[in-house]
Amino acid sequence: MNAPRLSHTAALILKAISLGYCYGLDVMEITGLPSGTVYPALRRLERDEFVESKWEPEEQATSKQRPARRYYEVTREGKAAALAATQRYPLLAHLVPEKRS
Amino acid sequence: MSQTPAPTLPPFDRKLLAVVERLVPLAEREEWSRAWQAELWHMHHRRGLHHRSALITMADFSIGLTRDALWLRTESWRRTFTGTAVLCIAFLFGLIIIASLVALAPTAGWRTLSSSLGEQCLRYIVVSPLVIFVAFASASSRHIEQGSSNRGRFWLKQQAFFSAKVIQVLVLAFVLSLDTCQPLHNAFPATADFFRIYFFVLFALFGLRWAIHDQEQRCKHCLHSLATPARVGRPSHNLLEWNGTELNCMRGHGLLSIPEMETSWCQSSRWIAIDACRLRVDEDRYLEIG
Repeated sequence: MNAPRLSHTAALILKAISLGYCYGLDVMEITGLPSGTVYPALRRLERDEFVESKWEPEEQATSKQRPARRYYEVTREGKAAALAATQRYPLLAHLVPEKRS
Repeated sequence: MSQTPAPTLPPFDRKLLAVVERLVPLAEREEWSRAWQAELWHMHHRRGLHHRSALITMADFSIGLTRDALWLRTESWRRTFTGTAVLCIAFLFGLIIIASLVALAPTAGWRTLSSSLGEQCLRYIVVSPLVIFVAFASASSRHIEQGSSNRGRFWLKQQAFFSAKVIQVLVLAFVLSLDTCQPLHNAFPATADFFRIYFFVLFALFGLRWAIHDQEQRCKHCLHSLATPARVGRPSHNLLEWNGTELNCMRGHGLLSIPEMETSWCQSSRWIAIDACRLRVDEDRYLEIG
């Protein structure tokens, strides 16, 4: 099967999510992309089943006194796409550092 | 699971969300609003954003949430209209408008163009039925077998759609033939007139072949384009068993079986409505059990 081809922006966002930046604001900060690019790109990635989203558990958010966030996670197809994108754009691996938990 | 109450946001944010959420399809509005309330709350309570001024950040987020809402709206339209008869007709109409604007531009208005074309209209009226006849005669000789119940109920809808498509294709071919020969018309009017008819026949034949093919590959109930083509059977067993392609209606009305080659026992494509499909599956199961 051919590896799915992503734009550089989509690949950057996918790479960021795969490295642990799992919500919109976090992705925006680490990639430096504007919100008008990040959020629609996240929707497209979710539609194409490269990422899936889920709401943070309410208890967890309430205990930290903040609203629940929508978290994104890379799927198996997304991991394959991210790998293909890293081969296609080698500099991508150096653009986003791994998230320190 | 209980949901936490909506976070407290500045009045501008609340107003912005209230205005922009109208762009979001109703089914997704609540979740969109919840997601953006959370994002805006986190944006306001973020320490890492001190490099930018609050105003610039807010402007950026305003663009982001608007683009997000617009994306959801266009995606909803895409899901609703992809493959529909309405989209097909609208697309052809759009092409006619664009081609007409191209034809009108060098002739300084419709009146000049129509007066120069008035005398040629008769030719086009004579040529059109001939082109339609040739297109039908040269199209695939395979017809589609349909159940008698389908014929009565959906025949009129299918014919109305097909007629609309044929008329639009002929008009488009006419306008495109004008566009193509426009540069030649000032220098060689007689040659341009000849080529206009020639190009009209050419474009109309291509267009009508497409219209016939498109009509064959649409659901006989809802007129949606059929999708997910699947090869069924083995080509090496051509004379022993059925092999060909099956296309499905995404709304589940039925499937179209197109044989790879015509045989004496399977000469035409078959439209199998969903009830007939179930019947066939039940028959197969019965035979397997038996």
